[in-house]
Amino acid sequence: MKKIKYLKNPGFSLIWILFIWIVLFEFILPSNNFLPKPSIVLLSFSALEGVYHLWINLSISISELYFSLIISYLITKILCENFSWFHFVFNIAGSIHKLFNYVPVIIFGIFLVLWFPNSNYTGFVFVFLISLISMLIKTKDGSLKIKKEYFDASISIGADQKMISKNVIWKSVQPILLDYMTEIHIYLWISLILFEFINGSFGLGAIFKIALKYKDLSALFSISIITGLLIFLGFNIIKFIRNKFIHWSNI
Amino acid sequence: MSESNLILEVRNISKSFHGLAGSKIIVLDGINLKIDFENNKGKINTIVSPPKSGKSTLLKIISAIEMPTAGDVILYGNKYSNPDGSIALIPEKASSFPWMNVKQNVEFGLNIKNYIPEILRKKREELISFVGLEGYEEHFPHEKDSGFRFRISLARALAVEPKIILLDNPFHNLGKETKTELYSLIEKVKNQYKMNFILATANVNESILLSDNIFLMKKNPSEIVREIHIDDQTKNNLDADKYNSLKSEIEKSFGKHEEFFNLS
Repeated sequence: MKKIKYLKNPGFSLIWILFIWIVLFEFILPSNNFLPKPSIVLLSFSALEGVYHLWINLSISISELYFSLIISYLITKILCENFSWFHFVFNIAGSIHKLFNYVPVIIFGIFLVLWFPNSNYTGFVFVFLISLISMLIKTKDGSLKIKKEYFDASISIGADQKMISKNVIWKSVQPILLDYMTEIHIYLWISLILFEFINGSFGLGAIFKIALKYKDLSALFSISIITGLLIFLGFNIIKFIRNKFIHWSNI
Repeated sequence: MSESNLILEVRNISKSFHGLAGSKIIVLDGINLKIDFENNKGKINTIVSPPKSGKSTLLKIISAIEMPTAGDVILYGNKYSNPDGSIALIPEKASSFPWMNVKQNVEFGLNIKNYIPEILRKKREELISFVGLEGYEEHFPHEKDSGFRFRISLARALAVEPKIILLDNPFHNLGKETKTELYSLIEKVKNQYKMNFILATANVNESILLSDNIFLMKKNPSEIVREIHIDDQTKNNLDADKYNSLKSEIEKSFGKHEEFFNLS
């Protein structure tokens, strides 16, 4: 039983993969085009800043993604607390969402690059729109699952729509929304990296594009590790916030 | 029954809806109730009926949360169709907010009355202490049992100073000890706040122990079949004989309508 538990642990699997990589690519297959030598990857980390301007590109990607998430969350909160507005905006968001059921969202990103080739904010706009639309739709779905008792009790004691929106609907929807944020987090990262890759000017996606152009295997590998660590960290921070501050569920 | 005391009247209330197959389902059919709440005295009126007979629907209609298909609810001679806190409902399932602690739940009710902060704080403390939750102000409802959650809901309902509190099967699924404590609490609220209650239950024992007035409601379709008044003298000296005679009276009334059920 203990053995199986170890195998299910992602950290344990990661150590195994790392071990196999070191043994295989450092000693058995040192020169190949498949994966780089571990020692070269270590050296390339220091070179990433000089050649690829890692820190500035990293900061751009991180701020684009997390600012979009935070602003989308705040807008959803404001709309949710003013429920009449929420319905209006939801209908627009719902129509756009339906469109993206058939047209991949990255195509919209391509158009953004075409329309605003020199803008520094297109990445932000792209992720922001995806996260806002997704959150609005999730909020609407979540609001339909709120226990009827909360409404009945509030309405009967004379609470108005604004009080109910703020104290019942938004509060009930928060855990659903935070759980959803952990789910869409990886999806937003994929979309952003793809967008930056197409755009090719800033961000982690742009580094991938340049590294691919120069066929710089070790840089590609290092950036992949950094991206993975970032996503892992972001996921756990959102999860921590959810568990620490949104301690209730819709019960 | 003097007209001046009459504050709640349910006139010919019917409720029906269409089922999935398009058939018409009648939940309530011409319910009439005249509830006399005496001035300066709290009273507990109980609607006793079998499970799934439309008690909850009736209470929702009385509190104006749900609209009837036909009929009116009259409060103090006026039609009551917009919930303004005069008739507060405590639903069957726990309704205290799990995202608010005890203090915040009670404040939710007090905020409706727009009290200034100082009075709000005083009233909050008073209500929390009254329902027996002193020392639990920072506790969250979902950490506790249904009895705890009921106390919060009661304090929150009292915060808006309603004329009537509707209790929808509140003691269902509670342990014996908690039930006894809550019965005393309801009595305390009735006497101290001169609060009027309408309790909906399927439990005959409960209705005899708590009520000043019992309305028996049959099902299919739901209809009030009898009203039993329990005067103060009987209530205060309720011995086994009186209790059994009341219980058999209730059971007989239901038996007449050929739908006796497992009333505990």
